[in-house]
Amino acid sequence: MSVKADLIQRLSSLPTVPVMANRLVHLLNDPDARPGEISRVIQYDSALTANILKAANSSFLGFTQPVTSLDEATVRLGTNWVFQIAVSSLIYSNLRQPAAGYGMSADETWRHSMAVAVMAEALRDLLHLTSIGTVFTAALLHDIGKIPMGEFVADAFPALQELVDEGNASFEEAEQAILEVDHAEIGALIARQWRFPEAIVDCIRWHHYPEKAPVITPAIDLVHVADAICLLEGLGIGRDDLHYRLCESSIERLRLNQDTTEKAVSQTMAALDAINAAFINAPAVRVGR
Amino acid sequence: MSLIVVGISDLQTSGDPQDVFITYSLGSCIGVTAYDPAARIGGMIHYMLPLSQIAPDKAAARPAMFADTGVPALLNTLLSQGAAKNRLVVKAVGGAQLMDQHKLFNIGERNFLILRKILWKNNILIKASDVGGMMSRTLRLELDTGRVTVKSSHGEVEL
Repeated sequence: MSVKADLIQRLSSLPTVPVMANRLVHLLNDPDARPGEISRVIQYDSALTANILKAANSSFLGFTQPVTSLDEATVRLGTNWVFQIAVSSLIYSNLRQPAAGYGMSADETWRHSMAVAVMAEALRDLLHLTSIGTVFTAALLHDIGKIPMGEFVADAFPALQELVDEGNASFEEAEQAILEVDHAEIGALIARQWRFPEAIVDCIRWHHYPEKAPVITPAIDLVHVADAICLLEGLGIGRDDLHYRLCESSIERLRLNQDTTEKAVSQTMAALDAINAAFINAPAVRVGR
Repeated sequence: MSLIVVGISDLQTSGDPQDVFITYSLGSCIGVTAYDPAARIGGMIHYMLPLSQIAPDKAAARPAMFADTGVPALLNTLLSQGAAKNRLVVKAVGGAQLMDQHKLFNIGERNFLILRKILWKNNILIKASDVGGMMSRTLRLELDTGRVTVKSSHGEVEL
């Protein structure tokens, strides 16, 4: 059986994401949703509400008066922020998993995912691309395919490494050449199985090659560029190292310049401290492997 | 021996010869070690970006995020602890890139360039460096000997 067929068979036994995550993502994408709808949905989940309040009260945000309700958190920090903490909390256990062959522990997978999500949001804001509700979730999930792929990558690692070193292939190209499937492809299948919107599935599928997407959206470009910047800046480098290509046309389409790129880096570092404070077992920013 | 991990956007100094500094995942970031062999005082920084002017508020909160605020902070801390500028042995590592380098993403190159400028202004030469390429690096400094090593997918070497 091919690696791909084997993987697809295994996907059905992967844990599903909480229904709430799905509901929130669809809600955020729904132009007809009423303001406050997200808080109304969240308030019935007490564990989730507690997590959001904990994040809202983390010292990194610097408020002196504690936030005591979901409504207050929404007023102070915005719906988008509440959504981000909620979705991250819900996906946490699905995403905080080791990607063995890639040399990423559970903690590292999680922190790289979070860094790319925060970076993509920072870029989106700096570039004034306001109408994209999918970017954060898509960026968070962009490497989800590495979790089931890890075992196969571990077995094939010497061959993959050789192709990268000798053949000037990117790591994803090497995966395709040797395993006939890559982590972006598997990631997209998982997101589809979880019934996330197609816009999110596409971001995951094309995060290394936006050019190959049938329809190139700003969200796809943002996830691609955010991932590249995080790798460059050392926010989640695995055994696949820096062996990824950068899509120049993404930079042109986004009209990204040096200042914006560097501003996004500095904002991401600060925001990661605040966001990580929401997750009990996740210390601020990875320090080693 | 105590191993002190220097995080991303972090700097550490020490005068305890038992201490060993280490920093991981240097991509386009630069790790700099500075060591006074006579006083056996040393330090390490892991900075991400060249110039603080893009985000002065972030630089105020975390000077070690930027070369132009972090490197002087490293040097000044060492001097205030008794190191002598003319004895400082400075080494630099990192400044890597992705495949298909784009000029927007030459953060690594700019990171190294600004370091050389700052050190030149301070009359300090870079004794050794291992920069550029497409691999991430781990940097280590042992304070009892001043030994500096670099580890990457190509193995571990002394610098």
